[in-house]
Amino acid sequence: MKVSIIGVATTKFGELWSVSPRALAHEAMSGALKDAGIENGRIQALFVGNMLSGMLGGQEHLGAFFAEELGFSHAAAIKIEGACASGGLAIHAAVSGILSGQYETVAVLGVEKMTDHKPEDVAAALMGAGSSQERASGCTFPGLYAILARVHMLKFGTTQEDMAAVAVKNHYHASLNPNAQFHRPITIEAVLKSHKVTDPLTLLDCSPISDGASALILSIKHQASSINIVASSVATDTLGLAERNNLTQLQATKEAAMRAYKQAGIEAKDIDVAEVHDCFTIAEILALEDLGITKKGDAAGGIRRGEFTLGSAKRVVVNPSGGLKGCGHPIGATGVKQVVELVEQLRGEAGKRQVKDARVGLAHNVGGSGATAVVHILKK
Amino acid sequence: MLGRTGNIISWTIVRVPPADFFDQAPYPVVLIELDDGGRITAQLVDWEDRNLKIGQKVTTIVRRIIKPNTEGVIPYGIKVKPLW
Repeated sequence: MKVSIIGVATTKFGELWSVSPRALAHEAMSGALKDAGIENGRIQALFVGNMLSGMLGGQEHLGAFFAEELGFSHAAAIKIEGACASGGLAIHAAVSGILSGQYETVAVLGVEKMTDHKPEDVAAALMGAGSSQERASGCTFPGLYAILARVHMLKFGTTQEDMAAVAVKNHYHASLNPNAQFHRPITIEAVLKSHKVTDPLTLLDCSPISDGASALILSIKHQASSINIVASSVATDTLGLAERNNLTQLQATKEAAMRAYKQAGIEAKDIDVAEVHDCFTIAEILALEDLGITKKGDAAGGIRRGEFTLGSAKRVVVNPSGGLKGCGHPIGATGVKQVVELVEQLRGEAGKRQVKDARVGLAHNVGGSGATAVVHILKK
Repeated sequence: MLGRTGNIISWTIVRVPPADFFDQAPYPVVLIELDDGGRITAQLVDWEDRNLKIGQKVTTIVRRIIKPNTEGVIPYGIKVKPLW
């Protein structure tokens, strides 16, 4: 398959209390349209990725809401939701819309507004991503990943320092990203000393609550200079951890990755730059293993040795944007931002974050504790 | 669902709870391998630090999940407690 990305843009991610969802969407979409060099009349369909607009904002009908707001008059518009994979799923739906032959030029908007609510209300809303049994247990979203972390620590000897190294790497990358929520590098010691949220995860093991929006314009028409989506795959697994087959991996990631590599005709070793789903530090360790970038049990060591860090990477730079941990995680926007970052990398426009000679990129977006996984592969 | 025994295969302590669980925090949430097959995720009650270990035996019980809503209906559900 081959779908061209002709325009990209993202807003800053952070606690943007003075910026409304409408303003976020305008900023991202007008940036993407300008980048594509087209007018909004050319957009035939809008795909919106978002998780919490209903529970936190009382508004579910986001397709029509943003089509109206962005001036896509009478265009097709659909809201797509899959917890934290909402953005990636919106891209998948857009790609499917183009490959079906129904649309030629479409827009994808990932947007989330979640920082002007009490943390305990956001925590409750986020558990919409888990099973009803998990909700009844009082578990929180970080709690689910804490449970996974403990299993990984027991099986592979993964340590708190190993997990902290993910946060250190991604905050360093974020310090090079003007759009990131966090700007200062941190140390392993700082991660270990930070407030315990859900044992063994500390505050700095967890990605933040963030506002933000990112947008893409996709087209069936290719230009020589376009960056192209050459694989778009989605896989699911059980909603709850108790029903999973294997707690040391996210099977949905493995399935989605296998399908994507097949679609693109590549292997994990061919990837130059990857944006993976580090909602919590342990999630990046799992991601590198499940995507086949490292062998099972080897990811933590590689991260600690700097093998995936800008400047010292051996094979692939992971999360040059800062990831969810450093750049921020406005839920619906993240999956779209990942692709924006990859496009900038493959175009050679990533500035201080530039991965040298990046030609093949992979975006990995997960919903819930691994119930949904989306993998996109981009080629120059 | 009641009186089923099992052992802890993973656990966490929730210190930053969701809205409805404020009055209960901090509390452990445990993943249990049931003796007669299958797994469940549940809150651990009547616990001490020494119970938070892999292999700790537990049994399922009925407990109030959260406070009643404005209509006064008390939500009950399954929690687990340690078998000493």
